[in-house]
Amino acid sequence: MKTEDHLAITVHHRFRQPAERVFDAWLDVRLASRFLFSTETGEMVRCDIDPRVGGRFVLTDRRPDGDVEHTGEYLAIERPRRLVFTFGIPAASPTFDIVTIEITPEGDGGCTLHLTAEMQSEWKDYADRARQGWAQILASLEAALGETTA
Amino acid sequence: MKNALTTSRLDNLFVALADETRRAILARLSSGEARVTEVAAPFDISLNSVSKHIRILERAGLVARRRAGREHVLHLEPRPLAEASDWLQSRQRAWTGRLQRLQALLDEEDAASPRPSKGVRRP
Repeated sequence: MKTEDHLAITVHHRFRQPAERVFDAWLDVRLASRFLFSTETGEMVRCDIDPRVGGRFVLTDRRPDGDVEHTGEYLAIERPRRLVFTFGIPAASPTFDIVTIEITPEGDGGCTLHLTAEMQSEWKDYADRARQGWAQILASLEAALGETTA
Repeated sequence: MKNALTTSRLDNLFVALADETRRAILARLSSGEARVTEVAAPFDISLNSVSKHIRILERAGLVARRRAGREHVLHLEPRPLAEASDWLQSRQRAWTGRLQRLQALLDEEDAASPRPSKGVRRP
């Protein structure tokens, strides 16, 4: 199953810190509560992390318009190279993403992190039939339809 | 959460786009309005199943119809496509932001208690 068959987004970042430190931050309550699902105007009022395969996390950000609870389950924990977890906001949607983090140590003591967030939904099965990635499908459709939108 | 695209609207949209025939119908309508029969003509499937595809596109807000006498004329509504792209981009920005915050936190820790590690030179 290739990620490009699904509706997925990918991002990457080159860290100055070693792979182990970057990896550990994702499972560290103190750090995760400050970078993971926090917002400028929110306050992280709950951060529970059960860092084992099958374990769950709950991070609740108190925002001016109410609490937002982020939950998920760890599917793979392979320190320091790979971390896979589900992620959703149950109050907003019954669907969830599968987030895969791959960390590659670099020669200078830093590391590169690649993150893929793959959306799981009722249309996931349909998406399997699409040969191209979703971003490509949308981009090419938009290009094809560009003249009519102008 | 942006209310521009609810989950069910998004589901409808991606279901609609996930099919080659339906994408071909959209491409056909991008060159202008067309009657249902005209849209169906190039496909080797029944008018009935083309109609089903069109209904799925209508449900997603990608296609709309108007009556012209006894005919139904279809046209494209491209706005949901742009919304879907925006939605994907906003998710991408959210994850980029999280990684940048992590970088800032780790830098903050380093500044507070420098731990020299092999091969890393600090100014």
